Amino acid sequence: MAGSAIRRIVIVGGGSAGWMAAAALSALVGRRVDEIVLVESAQIGTIGVGEATLPTLRAFNATLGIDEIEFIRKTQATFKLGIEFRGWNPGRTFFHGFSDFGPDMRGVSPHQLWLKARAAADERSYADYSIATVAAGLGRFAPPVPDRGSVLGSYSYAFQFDATAYAAHLRRFAEDRGVKRIEGRIVDVRLRPDDGFVDAVLLDCERAVSGDLFVDCSGFAALLIEGALAAGFDDWSRWLPCDRAFAVASARAGDPTPVTSSIAHRAGWQWRIPLQHRTGNGYVFCGSYISEDEAARTLLGNLDAPALATPRLLKFTAGRRREIWKRNCIALGLASGFLEPLESTSIHLVESGIGRLIELFPDRGFEPKLAQEYNRLMTRSYESIRDFIILHYHASGREGELWDHCRNMAIPDALRHQIELFRAGGVVALYDRGAFAEPSWVSLYLGLGVFPRRHDPMADLIDEAASSRELQRRARIVAAAAQSLPMHGAFIEKYCRAAA
Amino acid sequence: MSEPGQRSPRGLRNVVVVGGGTAGWMAAAALARVLAPSSCEIILVESSADGVPAGADGTIPNLRAFHGLLGIDERDFVRATRATFKLATRFRDWGERGGTFLHPFGPYGVDARHELFQAYWLERRRQGRPSRLEEWSVTGLAASLGRFGARPANDSSPLRHLSYGYHLDAVLYARFLRAHAEKGGVRRIEGDLADVVVDPSGRIGSLRLRDGRAVDGDFFIDCSGSAALVIAGALKCRYEDWSHWLPCDRAVAIDCVSADAPAPVMEATALECGWEWRIPLQDRDSSGRVYCSAYLSDDEAASGLLESAQGALPADPRVMRFRAGRRASAWVGNCLALGDAAGFLEPLASTGIHFIQTGLGRLFGLFPDRDFDPAISAEYNRLTALEYERARDFLVLHYAASKRDDATFWRECRAAQPPETMAYKRDLFAKTGRIASLEEEAFGPASWLALYAGLGVWPERPEPAVGIAGARAMASFEAMPEAIRKAVETLPAHAAYLKAIANLA
Repeated sequence: MAGSAIRRIVIVGGGSAGWMAAAALSALVGRRVDEIVLVESAQIGTIGVGEATLPTLRAFNATLGIDEIEFIRKTQATFKLGIEFRGWNPGRTFFHGFSDFGPDMRGVSPHQLWLKARAAADERSYADYSIATVAAGLGRFAPPVPDRGSVLGSYSYAFQFDATAYAAHLRRFAEDRGVKRIEGRIVDVRLRPDDGFVDAVLLDCERAVSGDLFVDCSGFAALLIEGALAAGFDDWSRWLPCDRAFAVASARAGDPTPVTSSIAHRAGWQWRIPLQHRTGNGYVFCGSYISEDEAARTLLGNLDAPALATPRLLKFTAGRRREIWKRNCIALGLASGFLEPLESTSIHLVESGIGRLIELFPDRGFEPKLAQEYNRLMTRSYESIRDFIILHYHASGREGELWDHCRNMAIPDALRHQIELFRAGGVVALYDRGAFAEPSWVSLYLGLGVFPRRHDPMADLIDEAASSRELQRRARIVAAAAQSLPMHGAFIEKYCRAAA
Repeated sequence: MSEPGQRSPRGLRNVVVVGGGTAGWMAAAALARVLAPSSCEIILVESSADGVPAGADGTIPNLRAFHGLLGIDERDFVRATRATFKLATRFRDWGERGGTFLHPFGPYGVDARHELFQAYWLERRRQGRPSRLEEWSVTGLAASLGRFGARPANDSSPLRHLSYGYHLDAVLYARFLRAHAEKGGVRRIEGDLADVVVDPSGRIGSLRLRDGRAVDGDFFIDCSGSAALVIAGALKCRYEDWSHWLPCDRAVAIDCVSADAPAPVMEATALECGWEWRIPLQDRDSSGRVYCSAYLSDDEAASGLLESAQGALPADPRVMRFRAGRRASAWVGNCLALGDAAGFLEPLASTGIHFIQTGLGRLFGLFPDRDFDPAISAEYNRLTALEYERARDFLVLHYAASKRDDATFWRECRAAQPPETMAYKRDLFAKTGRIASLEEEAFGPASWLALYAGLGVWPERPEPAVGIAGARAMASFEAMPEAIRKAVETLPAHAAYLKAIANLA
């Protein structure tokens, strides 16, 4: 084993993906390799402008042993209970929260009980049963209690943070564990003549950095995986036509909310991500339907506090690298693919990419089956998230060129079946049990106005009065529990305020 | 406002179960229980002649959840069906002649993540310290020592990982479920099916019985066995044939006197063509051979069985014919197929009863109304196809990975191109030691490991997880066999426990 163990890992690029990889690899496989180096250029900026995440980031940090309070202070983080969608359904704002809608009753899902009550003219919203939604609406937050059976233990949370500060925080963590940072811009990649594996990256200072395993975190440039290894790209823009974004920070506008906002516009949507000290904003749009100038004006015109800079333009194509692991190179982050940040999945995909690399850690033989399994798992993650995002556009009732196009376009077969199944009987089909779960799909279907033609016939077996009483009781408990939480701003102030 | 039990305008008014075997009575009993209180009537049509073929069946641990749903008391069930407890299957002569291995239920290790246990166990073997897998499994060790008992109420003993299914008398089980179902309000109609009336839209309207009676229904569950009288006979739904992967197409069975106190184990001994089972019940053993008619005649199989089976009771061997495969769509329109009508896999992994149970579970999660929206049945069929394919792959591995070279049957099994998904899993394990979990797996990584190791499929490379988990985590495994052995030794002998709970004389 020692004879063929990986000796040197070279991480190319020092954005959040690069430093997440460096931190995790140094903590979890550091003892087994001689050296981990990270090459980055101070001249090349990173993309991060205020990033929203999923709750899985907490597990990532915990595995590394990163102290949560310190992490929050260092990254200006705020807590996130979910995403608020404005303008996606012209009739109403809705929320995709990190909690379910309560327990099943006699095996019947809570949304089915709600659908039945609604048919009987019950006016309550299904959102009244989601603690994350109700608390977020009140601007309240505290971490859940450990008891999963209690309503105050039944939700989860994520963070909204400064990704650049996170990368810096992880850099210290990784350097403390022996990761060597090399400053330099990559000008070329040298392949081994015999098998086409990456041998070394060549820097502008005429230095060559060689290694056994290369992790490509070079962002959209994809210097190794595409530039040198031509792994190929599956273009998904026929389903996700947005191809640009303007991003800009704005001044803090009062206490931060525990909510990421997604506001639909004519040619795309605007994000709003409140951090402790400022707010991250951006407009994701499709260049065919709006000019860049107009998009920038739209963004600036829809800020709730003064912009702190000129909006920065990003260009992208939705899609995924065909082989995310090819030969001795694994791509992470934007080098592996791009899905617009509508469901805050970018950092999550980096986490799962790193986790799977560690689970399938190669030796210098680079058994092709490892790459094949890695690519199978990453493909499944990418595609199930892709379909979830397509749903937002396809099922939106909004009018306009982009929206009409998305409503009428052919969608992937799996998603078509999922939507038809929900329309038929409110049933949620899952293709990737590790990804967005039933409550997430229910939030989106009902939020966007995809209503089942009927509820679950099993719900009719439950005594109407009993189920109505139970729903009332649950809504009361959720409302009271949410009221009992402190205000999000006050909670941060008390426990984890960042240094000014 | 609707009252409990009052149906929606499009709700099912009745369900007609066609056939009264294990599948039919499981379906009827579960429907009666789950749909109560409701005005939906459950009708089961069976001919006095068809009944259940005599014999024994094995189950996996899940069946206990089914009994929980039905409110069945374990003692009542064990007494009524002459059941014994099943902890494992013991394979003989499979990987190679003379070799034996155990496939137990339940996990390896005590509170161990499977990947870590596997990495540790493989690494230990590589370092020249091989051990039998069952030493690391409470269930496996209890199986090899012939022990079984109630799990302790105190949850800290390794015995909390004890996992078990049953061996039962199939005729008695159907009779037991029938009593349950009829008590739950199921109406049984005895009659021979003469015709199925399909309306112009492709829906089943009613059944015609030979005596001229008609049985109308909204929804039909075809439990007519491999004849598949409704889904194939009337609706012409085709069968996806897997016999090129699983060539065995016959079984012959006899009853034997119990050789000894019943063991909590099914024996599966590979033969020159197929394999022989021995399943212990309380009062007798069932023995039988699964074989391929292209290599062996029924007479040869029967006489071989009578020769090898200890204590055969005087009766003619019963021959069964089957074809491995699955119905292309288990649910078509207003007809759902369950049991052998939906697909057949030889009883090597006890999936028969399990798939009836999971089929019912899926049906309850996707319960139809009279509109029979095709999206609902499409989802049922999608999940069912995956489930059958996963189990198929697990079975194919038993044959494809055997190293037996003493008979054409085995050489041809090995030479056949396996299903792509099975080849993927096997090659991934052989090259990297990883066990890939695809969607809807009936068998978890512990089962796959038992099989790979038992058949002699070993990873080519050391397991990197060992290095990643670190020495401390690995050291925690060293003490496990001792803790497991101590715990298992507190259990009574299976036969004694059985006697106590079954009140045997």
